[in-house]
Amino acid sequence: MPVVNEHSERMRKFKNKGKDVAALRRQRAEVNVELRKARKDEQILKRRSISFSLMDESLSLGEEKRNEIVQLSLEEIVEAVNGSNTELQLQATQATRRMLSRQKDPPINQIIELGIIPRLVEFLTHADNAPLQFEAAWALTNIASGTSDHTKAVVEGGAIPAFISLLSSRHMYISEQSVWALGNIAGDGPLYRDALINGNVIPPLLALVSPVTPVGFLRNITWTLSNLCRNKNPYPPLDAVKKMLPVLICLMEHEDKDIISDSCWAVSYLTDGSNDRIQIVVDTGILPRLVELMASPELIVMTPALRAIGNVVTGTDEQTQAAIDAGVLAVLPCLLQHAKPTIQKEAAWTLSNIAAGPCQQIQQLITCGLLPPLVELLDKGDFKAQKEAVWAVANFTTGGTVEQVVELVQSGVLKPLLNLLLAKDSKTILVILDTISNLFLAAEKLGETERLCLLVEELDGLEKIEALQTHDNNMVYRAALSIIEKYFSGEENPDLQPGTGQDGLYDFSVEKQDFNF
Amino acid sequence: LLFLQRVLLLVASDVDALCACKILQALFQCDHVQYTLVPVSGWQELETAFLEHKDQFKYFVLINCGANVDLLEILQPEEDTFFFVCDSHRPINVVNVYSDTQIKLLVKQDDDLDVPAYDDIFRDEEDEEEDSENESDGSEPSEKRRRFEEDVIERTMKRRQRREWEARRREILFDYEQYEYHGTSSAMVMFDLAWIMSKDLNDMLWWAIVGLTDQWVQDKITQMKYVTDIGILQRHVSRHNHRNEDEENSLSIDCMRIAFEYDLRLALYQHWSLYESLCNTSYTSASLKLWSVQGQKRLQEFLADMGLPLKQVKQKFNSMDVSLKENLREMIEESANKFGMKDLRVQTFSIHFGFKNKFSASDIVYATASLMENIEKEGPETTNFIKALDSLSRGNLDKLHQGLDLAKKQLRAIQQTVASCICTNLVISQGPFLYCSLMEGTPDVKLFSKPVSLCLLSKYLLKSFVCSVSKSK
Repeated sequence: MPVVNEHSERMRKFKNKGKDVAALRRQRAEVNVELRKARKDEQILKRRSISFSLMDESLSLGEEKRNEIVQLSLEEIVEAVNGSNTELQLQATQATRRMLSRQKDPPINQIIELGIIPRLVEFLTHADNAPLQFEAAWALTNIASGTSDHTKAVVEGGAIPAFISLLSSRHMYISEQSVWALGNIAGDGPLYRDALINGNVIPPLLALVSPVTPVGFLRNITWTLSNLCRNKNPYPPLDAVKKMLPVLICLMEHEDKDIISDSCWAVSYLTDGSNDRIQIVVDTGILPRLVELMASPELIVMTPALRAIGNVVTGTDEQTQAAIDAGVLAVLPCLLQHAKPTIQKEAAWTLSNIAAGPCQQIQQLITCGLLPPLVELLDKGDFKAQKEAVWAVANFTTGGTVEQVVELVQSGVLKPLLNLLLAKDSKTILVILDTISNLFLAAEKLGETERLCLLVEELDGLEKIEALQTHDNNMVYRAALSIIEKYFSGEENPDLQPGTGQDGLYDFSVEKQDFNF
Repeated sequence: LLFLQRVLLLVASDVDALCACKILQALFQCDHVQYTLVPVSGWQELETAFLEHKDQFKYFVLINCGANVDLLEILQPEEDTFFFVCDSHRPINVVNVYSDTQIKLLVKQDDDLDVPAYDDIFRDEEDEEEDSENESDGSEPSEKRRRFEEDVIERTMKRRQRREWEARRREILFDYEQYEYHGTSSAMVMFDLAWIMSKDLNDMLWWAIVGLTDQWVQDKITQMKYVTDIGILQRHVSRHNHRNEDEENSLSIDCMRIAFEYDLRLALYQHWSLYESLCNTSYTSASLKLWSVQGQKRLQEFLADMGLPLKQVKQKFNSMDVSLKENLREMIEESANKFGMKDLRVQTFSIHFGFKNKFSASDIVYATASLMENIEKEGPETTNFIKALDSLSRGNLDKLHQGLDLAKKQLRAIQQTVASCICTNLVISQGPFLYCSLMEGTPDVKLFSKPVSLCLLSKYLLKSFVCSVSKSK
């Protein structure tokens, strides 16, 4: 049965044979790329179309190839490294580097135990043997990429000054490798970070940044800089920060996503501290750029930008205002509804901090339309984000004017807020009860207490609050009790009919009506 | 091992599946394999049946179902469960093909599956290394990074290669899966199995023939494949039926004989009248356009051309004058050619057993299908299925005859519906396809509530529609 004919026979049966196949394409469901685990191992051995022996051959071939170069045993490596034959030194160092850079399970501990680290560090100084410097640098980079103990071994071998020196190497591939190594050392923690800074790493590092620096190199530099800004207890020294910031600002304007991302992370670390640290960042005028990046569709860019801005608004009212002036309120609504729960949460947290500000800033929240997405988040968001949203509402009611509180209620926040009284988290419940108290305080000022009571009742809020009187948590129970006693223990006023929409009783329109709920 | 285990047989609701089932049952009986038979007529029933029985059975045989979906994904069986799949549906799902332990496919050697190469569609997840930390999510950059063997450039190359591989994979899978078709009849595959085991019997051969014929009736295979498979079966038929039987077998009720025939493709004609058969076979009805007045006229001319008096032709076939029945096939063929019907004869087989019992393979197909899809239920759900299955055994002539009657009703209903649709222009062109809507209250519409009948109706309607709009004659 000839195959070709069969196929064309079959094709003849189909109407669309003449049409462009592409025109007929539509999305197809993906077939699992991976076979189910149970059969996977067998697959590798027993596939129908490939004979096992063939595969075996190619595997052993690769291994051999590698073995050709890494013929040296560990003893041989030690001997060569400690000897004076430069050729052997290079071979041994390269062999070490290869072992340390394979995909799985690099034998870092074994290499450390050989005791050759000091010697490798010494190789870094062999300016006449660039390949040796490079291989040593790479090997040490990889050792330092491990645990804290691994990094410690490298540092105690004297690597820090050696690498800082190499930043000025005339070979770019060597200075780049040094940047990487120093990044690993800095990333270990504040101790080594500051050791680097005190070793004067910053000037030569910054000097490497130029318009002609290749992108890959710039990525490494940015990442290392971010590690120099990273970690608290203690924070990086202020003067170091001041030196790094201008370059970071520059890098944030680059077009490469990874560079932008890492510089944003660096700035986010720098804003994660006391207000004076925040001020240093704000003073650079970088906020508009950060807000712009917050709106990026790229998650790796948007996430640190949001974090940085979020940090900024934990600061003073003026610093928060700077963020508002930079346009953060226009970007926030989208992020409140982001698909990723962590983004929702961070956005809500940011919002809650802005809502903790003076009533002028709260007014800006209202004007820029932050209430509807806030309500939506409160209603349907991820729970962690909802918790932050609850704080936002609470802060709103604490710092807002009576009119602003009215607007808040009119935006429909009460329903989802009351629903959250069913949450398991006591802290959240307390904040909500607190908020409700605030709402009643505002209502009292307007003489609208009964209306608010009815509203709460209508929204099934009363039964939830009543239920909380038997809550495990003492404070919750007392807060609930207090509200009930203060506002819900009077007789029903027979004059008040549950309205059918009059006076905006159940009306959640955003239009301002004269102080009606 | 199988001797100690019970097997669950899941059989789809089509005649080929039934035939395959019969053969397998006979083999099981031979080897004393215990089994339970569960008819299934769709994915839902397959899944339900599996769920209901998965605790008691480790071995499942699927006939005419399961090949074209990822069985393991859908059924989520335990690791010690095995599936033997004998299914003519194509293309076979790649996961089923490459699953070496749990899924066993019964496929003929020369059935070219065109399956994509393993490496083109599967990739070991472990091949992928951890790329840069911030690859796609917004997580914080790592505190430390190890520099790997390859360069960044190499890694980018790898990434690009991977994307290319994935794009190619999508194309390959799209091409592989875009058309559905059928491979060799499952009954034939089962017969092959029996033959390899040297346990093949003439009865099984007959079932294989019926299975193949079912594929032909339902238009599931190409003409070429049909003819090729006929050739294969022909060799077996010769082998089993070569004895000079006129004396020995024709008198014995228990013996049966299969004969090759180059027969008329007129449905059920030997159990009907020639006239009825001509009117209710879609090939003739469509070619002559019998729904129209001119068509009826053409029919008269056709009969006249053959010198067949109407009165004769309307009689039961067996009562027709013997003189007219002599050379009938050649006569009809010659006349048919003049009327644009070049394929009125088809290669097939017939079976003789007992006294006067002669059936063409297609007769059995129609009868069995009608029994299986009988809308009148005479008991629990599976009764009709079992009855249809039973009718395939020579001892159940009464069921077979019931089936033939039902089949006649059905074919009439199909032709009437087709005629009505064509005459009232119910077939509407809608871009890449034609559609026709049968309203509630259309006569016989209930008959078409089952898949095989509905399929037959659709195909015959399509053929007729094409003929009705073509300009020839």
